[in-house]
Amino acid sequence: MRRKKILLVWGIFVSLVMIPGCAPFVENNTIEDIAPVTFWSISKGEKRKIKMSTLVPPLVNEPKSLLTLEVDLLKQGGKDFNLRYYRELKVGQLRMFLIHEELAKQGIIQLINTLLTDYDISQRMYLVIVKGNFDEYINRQAKKQENLDYYLYRMLKHYERKKQGEMTIVNLHEYKNKLFSPFSDPVLPVFKVAKDNFTYEGTAFFSNDKLIETVKNTEDQIFQLLDNDHYLKFFPIPKLDVVIGHLRSRVNVDLDKNLSLVTINVKLNGRIEEYQGNKNILNGNELMQLHKEIETELEMKTTDLIKKMQELKVDPLQIGTHTLSPFSKPISEKVWLAAWGKMNIKVNYQLYFEALQNTKNNY
Amino acid sequence: MFWKKGKRIANDSSDTQQPVQRKISLDSLKQVLDNMDDVEIIERTTLNDQKVVLIYLRTLIDQDRLNESIIEPVIQCPHAMIYESIATPKVMKIHLLEEAQKLLLTGAVLLNDCIQEQWLVIPLPNELSRGIETSETETILYGAKDSFTEQLEPNITLIRRRLPITELKTEKYKVGSLSETTIVLMYIDGLTNPEYISIARKKISEINFDLFFDSSQVAAFMEEHHHSIFPQFQQTDRPDVCAYSLGLGKLTILVENTPFVLIAPITFFHLFQSPEDYINRWPVASFLRIIRYLSFFLSVTLIPLYVALTTHHYQMIPLQILFVIVESRSKLPFTPFWEAILMLTILEIIKEASLRMPTKSSQTLGVIGGIVIGQAAVQAGFASKVLIVLVCISTISSFLVPNYLMTKANTLIQFCFLLLSSFFGVFGIAMGAVAILAHLNGLTSLKQPYFSPIAPFYWKDWIDLFIRGPLINMKSRPDHLHPLQKWRYKRRM
Repeated sequence: MRRKKILLVWGIFVSLVMIPGCAPFVENNTIEDIAPVTFWSISKGEKRKIKMSTLVPPLVNEPKSLLTLEVDLLKQGGKDFNLRYYRELKVGQLRMFLIHEELAKQGIIQLINTLLTDYDISQRMYLVIVKGNFDEYINRQAKKQENLDYYLYRMLKHYERKKQGEMTIVNLHEYKNKLFSPFSDPVLPVFKVAKDNFTYEGTAFFSNDKLIETVKNTEDQIFQLLDNDHYLKFFPIPKLDVVIGHLRSRVNVDLDKNLSLVTINVKLNGRIEEYQGNKNILNGNELMQLHKEIETELEMKTTDLIKKMQELKVDPLQIGTHTLSPFSKPISEKVWLAAWGKMNIKVNYQLYFEALQNTKNNY
Repeated sequence: MFWKKGKRIANDSSDTQQPVQRKISLDSLKQVLDNMDDVEIIERTTLNDQKVVLIYLRTLIDQDRLNESIIEPVIQCPHAMIYESIATPKVMKIHLLEEAQKLLLTGAVLLNDCIQEQWLVIPLPNELSRGIETSETETILYGAKDSFTEQLEPNITLIRRRLPITELKTEKYKVGSLSETTIVLMYIDGLTNPEYISIARKKISEINFDLFFDSSQVAAFMEEHHHSIFPQFQQTDRPDVCAYSLGLGKLTILVENTPFVLIAPITFFHLFQSPEDYINRWPVASFLRIIRYLSFFLSVTLIPLYVALTTHHYQMIPLQILFVIVESRSKLPFTPFWEAILMLTILEIIKEASLRMPTKSSQTLGVIGGIVIGQAAVQAGFASKVLIVLVCISTISSFLVPNYLMTKANTLIQFCFLLLSSFFGVFGIAMGAVAILAHLNGLTSLKQPYFSPIAPFYWKDWIDLFIRGPLINMKSRPDHLHPLQKWRYKRRM
């Protein structure tokens, strides 16, 4: 009886260990023996090689140095880094993956697949496109700022939150979803490196896995309103000498049955933050006129942006998903992209601005 | 091997032989009480020229009352009926030597009326006890301050004052072949489930041991699961807790010479309840109770979680904290497991030492311990700052559980979890938690499930489980205790 009991307990114990698929051969993850890296920077090397860089030590407050390697494969780089550093570099805390623009233009699906299949790498890792020499920048800045890599991560994390607006922030999971889903194309943020500056430049549009265009300034801001965050803290329109702000958008996309016309209605709540133009915005009529002008300007710019998308045959706004309905067969992505390229566009903006000043009609 | 067993049985049979009953006589008594320095055998002559012999143990009787109530009245007795002259409420006649022996040792005076050839026994116990003081183990800010003492009678008085009803029954039993400890089973007739009473009676009658100096020893013989780390009887020195438990349908066992009373049947969750819960406003009391559960969870899992994360799952640590931990651990010679074991063992040593030391010394010990653990260990490179913080939080959390025995159980669970976490990481903690839950589910207290009202499920009792609901809504007694009277209010006629 006692032996049976012991056998039963062991049986339960062994099954408990086996059920979750725990490997009996575990890696040494003891925290003092490893160096969890926070970012990998990838750029094009010589002779079709990949140039990989990371900062070591990643976390401890010791003098930091940049490790750079030229390798054929991503994982090869991971291995070679370990051979060059006294602690094993682990990727379980990899938070940022910076890809050089040139490499992104060639296609990054193999890189993405490698990252996705590594169970150590979190899918919450941010993907960023970099213009310029990032290695040079980080090498120079690391001496000035102790935890530069950490602060870059904090910046991305800050703007990832909803209702922060301003930037496109995409993680591996989001990128993968858009890459492998029909009727959608992925986007990534683009940062420009110039000497001591690391500046957000805009949003990169991808056709499948290849970077084909980067939208900047006003177009990028419109993209934030239409799809990314539906919120902007400030939106300067220099042409009209106005800054509108605290914008919340509600976007309604409507496709006609023949797939010949797409109507985009945008309801915009917000307020005028600053005005330096010639109109007297304390006068109701002139204010209305300014509203009209802003509406027209936004409609024009939005139409331009969508036309650009049509020309590039990309659909980052996922307009194609509006062709789906519960009881009909979905059209193929090919058919959709062909129709998307020829569609007429109609954009309507409706502004609902808060009156922050007293207005008088005959002022 | 067989002959050994046979021998044991033969010894057992000699133990169970009925003693020969002898008649009481002065010579036989003198023989029995030989070599007992505190025995007094005095002879007196009454006014009636009648000779009386008094036998007593001076260490057990009240000397003043002996003079006032027995010696003086007996000497002044003008007639032959000495029995009537004794000025104490209880006087009995006895005939057997064994009986006389037992009564002498409880603090009675034996009186031999030589003419009438009769033996009288007059109980005059010396009520040597400390006064009623405040409870030191279950201190509360508001509410009753009195606590039990080592004497049975005052303890029963304290409960009777709170429950002045004739239904409150007390049954006396003797346990311990050497200590002859009196224990009292208390319950409310017509309210406490008779099944519990009969189980308790049976268990008490089955107790077979020589010495009982504390109620926990009695509990050890009445428990169904001797190897469990969880107490299956609640021990309290607070009469209000006792009276409240009796009112809910539980029974209590008072043990002589200990201020701690046993309460049963209990559940795991009763150990997290404090008398102050029923004094505070209900939202406050509920919040404090939730904090207590949370702190129990923290005290058990915080350090194992630290070991699991730093040994196996560095990926799970938020980057900001990882910064701090890596920096703090970078120069340490020990792995997280040994570091935690070292710190916890030192802490246990300090805790145990401070309990055994006199109050003034324990203060010094506390300061030294604080400095050693807080600063020196970090500076010497034995432990990381993060672990010190976690050890502090976990230790303070463990003190929030009102039951002291449960606090001790905490430590043991923590060590087990620590071992599991070092081998299996978070998965080990999960396995440990499953094992603890399974064990708790299998436990019983007076054959009642220990993990009710969760398993078995009694949804109505949840009003006084993780929260303490408003008293006005607690109209019925807990279902899991199966009381004979369900409602807590009197029905209007």
